[in-house]
Amino acid sequence: MSANVYDERTPPRPLPVGKAGYRTGGWWGMLALIGAEAALFAYLLFSYYYLQSQHAQTWPPTGLPPLRYSIPSTVALLISVATMWWAEHGIRVGRRVVSQAALAITLLLGIAYVVLQFLDWRIEPFLINADAYSSLFYAITALHVLHAIAGEFILVAMIIWSVLGHITQQRHIAIGIAAMYWYFIVLVWTAIFITFYMLPYIGPG
Amino acid sequence: MAANPTFRTPVVAQPTPELREKLEHMWSDKPGLIGWFSTVDHKKIGKRYLATAFIFLLAGGVEALGMRLQLAQPNEHLLSPQLYNQFFSMHGMTMIFLYALPILSGFSNYLWPLILGTRDMAFPRLNMFTYWVFLLAGIFMYIGFWNGKGTDVGWFNYVPLASRTYSPDWNVDIYSLGMIFLGISTTAGAINFIATAFRTRAPGMSISRVPIMIWGTLTANVGILFAVPAVSLDFFMLWCDRQFGTHFFDPANGGRPLLWQHLFWIFGHPWVYAIVLPAMSIVSQGLPVYCRRPLVANSAVILATILTMVLGFGVWVHHMFSTGLPVIAMGFFSAASFVIVIPSAVSVFAWTATIWTGRPVFTTAFKFFAAEIVLFVVGGVSGFMTAAVPLDWQLTDTYFVVAHIHFVLIGINVFPVIGGIYHWFPKMTGKMMSEKLGRWNFWLMFVGFLVGFFPMHISGLLGMPRRVYTYPAGMGWSDLNLVTTIGAFIFALGALLFVVNVIRSLAAGQKAPANPWDADTLEWAIPSPPPSYNFDVIPRVGSIHPLWEDRLEEQGDRTIFEPGAVLDHEHEIPGTTVLDAEPDVILKQPSPTLAPLITALLIAGVFVGMLMAMWWVALACMAALIPALFYWFWPTVETGWAPRHPRERA
Repeated sequence: MSANVYDERTPPRPLPVGKAGYRTGGWWGMLALIGAEAALFAYLLFSYYYLQSQHAQTWPPTGLPPLRYSIPSTVALLISVATMWWAEHGIRVGRRVVSQAALAITLLLGIAYVVLQFLDWRIEPFLINADAYSSLFYAITALHVLHAIAGEFILVAMIIWSVLGHITQQRHIAIGIAAMYWYFIVLVWTAIFITFYMLPYIGPG
Repeated sequence: MAANPTFRTPVVAQPTPELREKLEHMWSDKPGLIGWFSTVDHKKIGKRYLATAFIFLLAGGVEALGMRLQLAQPNEHLLSPQLYNQFFSMHGMTMIFLYALPILSGFSNYLWPLILGTRDMAFPRLNMFTYWVFLLAGIFMYIGFWNGKGTDVGWFNYVPLASRTYSPDWNVDIYSLGMIFLGISTTAGAINFIATAFRTRAPGMSISRVPIMIWGTLTANVGILFAVPAVSLDFFMLWCDRQFGTHFFDPANGGRPLLWQHLFWIFGHPWVYAIVLPAMSIVSQGLPVYCRRPLVANSAVILATILTMVLGFGVWVHHMFSTGLPVIAMGFFSAASFVIVIPSAVSVFAWTATIWTGRPVFTTAFKFFAAEIVLFVVGGVSGFMTAAVPLDWQLTDTYFVVAHIHFVLIGINVFPVIGGIYHWFPKMTGKMMSEKLGRWNFWLMFVGFLVGFFPMHISGLLGMPRRVYTYPAGMGWSDLNLVTTIGAFIFALGALLFVVNVIRSLAAGQKAPANPWDADTLEWAIPSPPPSYNFDVIPRVGSIHPLWEDRLEEQGDRTIFEPGAVLDHEHEIPGTTVLDAEPDVILKQPSPTLAPLITALLIAGVFVGMLMAMWWVALACMAALIPALFYWFWPTVETGWAPRHPRERA
């Protein structure tokens, strides 16, 4: 075989190296991880709706949930979607300081969500071992908080690596991957918020 | 910076001895203990998976022989009821979780990059991490067995028996936490396989040229990704019920025991396909080689594989027909269970037609693959029978179901696995296995299996319940059980011969050529055993049978082995597009590191802390995971990040 055969079919062309470009292995890895995590929360919500469907008395058994902290925390997370997008867009157009600032704001909003969720737990009228509803409530919200904290550590890593100069306009896929995870966190929270804090107000109870 | 330009045109050239030397230097591990612990070479990881899973198979086998001795005669007292409970629970757990999937991960880890024509998996460090977690979780799940704290309420661990009230000791805690721990390995492995299949195929291996073994494992791992969270969650909720007094499964406080069963089988049935589809694809890959022709209806078998997995998510309730569910639900799930026979039959007919229209060479591997077809049909029919609700009501929790599960799991997992070892052993070790010992190995295992497991159908039909530690005389079960025990020992003797053959061949086997079976896929194009870098230059794939192209005389592209892309700047592999596999990036792969081992050990610490309710241990290990992960993921030029430079102003 001559060297030409290879060349004719795919003339070698310049390829992005390493983390340059959009579709690194990490992008696929994050997509698959999100698939597994989405399944986890789907099964959690399945358990909730299953036990609700098997429940003869009023639901939730302890009355309507408090909204004092859950609405602000939801708003914080929804705003963080915009700031996360801003961070990704900023690095893409080469504005690293803007991107770092947007990452920091996203991080603060994420921390605000975690703090508000802790405050929400303090005003709930039950503990985790009260009944099946309380067990589900704490298990689902706590697992989500754990995932959010993991996401916040990823944001910290992004800020550090951006400041150190590892993330550049040419190699910014890491922020894109972190953003995928963060959007997923917020999406799951909206499902949890609707399930625990909205449906009891509008559902048949 | 020259060390890491943003763009580079890969050099395409003929391989030279200098290039091989350079690659060998780049890709081989450090010598000594550090090298052993820090390797990320998929071939070493694959072999470790195979060896470890096989040791678990032997452990599970010894437990089975213990049970068979106890059941050989009525009213025996070899094992106490408590010990027998542990034996059958540990046996199920070991075989289903610690052997059946890890052994297939071993094959896939070893073979995928070779079959895909590349130098490593998408995530080499994650790959090593999955092995360490598997090993540590396996040890974790066995730690209680020695002092009577092995899990003892069956591998599906139903509540309320598994609740604190009825199982107060550590047995179920170890199993619960161990399963969550193991789930980390399985999920991470699935992520790695998915990214590898979609990202790192050799240039030219478009989606229609992907060999069937990749399809089987890829399909199973997509299934695993969505199924394993169900069982991890199930065991997590059970552990919370036991440890913190939550009420997920407690009917007195709004919980439901059936929630356990739903989540367990939402996981459990897809899992069955996760541990048989890759093994079926081993048969689909290996059998045609010995029939000297391509697999009949290759595309149909691939589509059937995917369809089986999809349908597999919709049949879980057939494990729960006797729990008093609504008739309409049972009707739906019964029908879905019947439908799943159709894609399974596609594979059976394709294999049969491959043998029928081929020129079979009766090697040991061929015999194991062909036996799989027979056992799959028998196991499939008994499964089909129990998909009918009334028959299931009669047969559930009898030895008929025990016969069914062993026909499908030994038939479609163990037989292809042993056949697969005979097939790929020359590639992995550079030594041939003895065909003469192989003949004895096969016939003892095949006859022993049929003598051992077929009579279980009859004892089940005669009403013998599963999981009893003994039975009275005069039930009509005694002779059948004696035959079963004799068969089990013949089977075990066959398995022992396999071990003897492996050890003997490793020590004094004939030297294997690159392609001893004249097979068709890329792993056979490189030396046996492969060098640390696999391919000196990356081939360009032209068809699904790269090594048979000239003989198949098909029109169209031909595979080009050399010249190929050289990629000799540290660990590099080409990243290609999903459908056409056109190169679109040069991926920078990590070199050996201790980060995966450290991370796995810290996670083990978290689980030990949780098991012993030493919360500060769990919390300390969890906190230590943060710097460990920063260390793992810290950006380096070598892994493709931008070189560090002074802060720039926007």
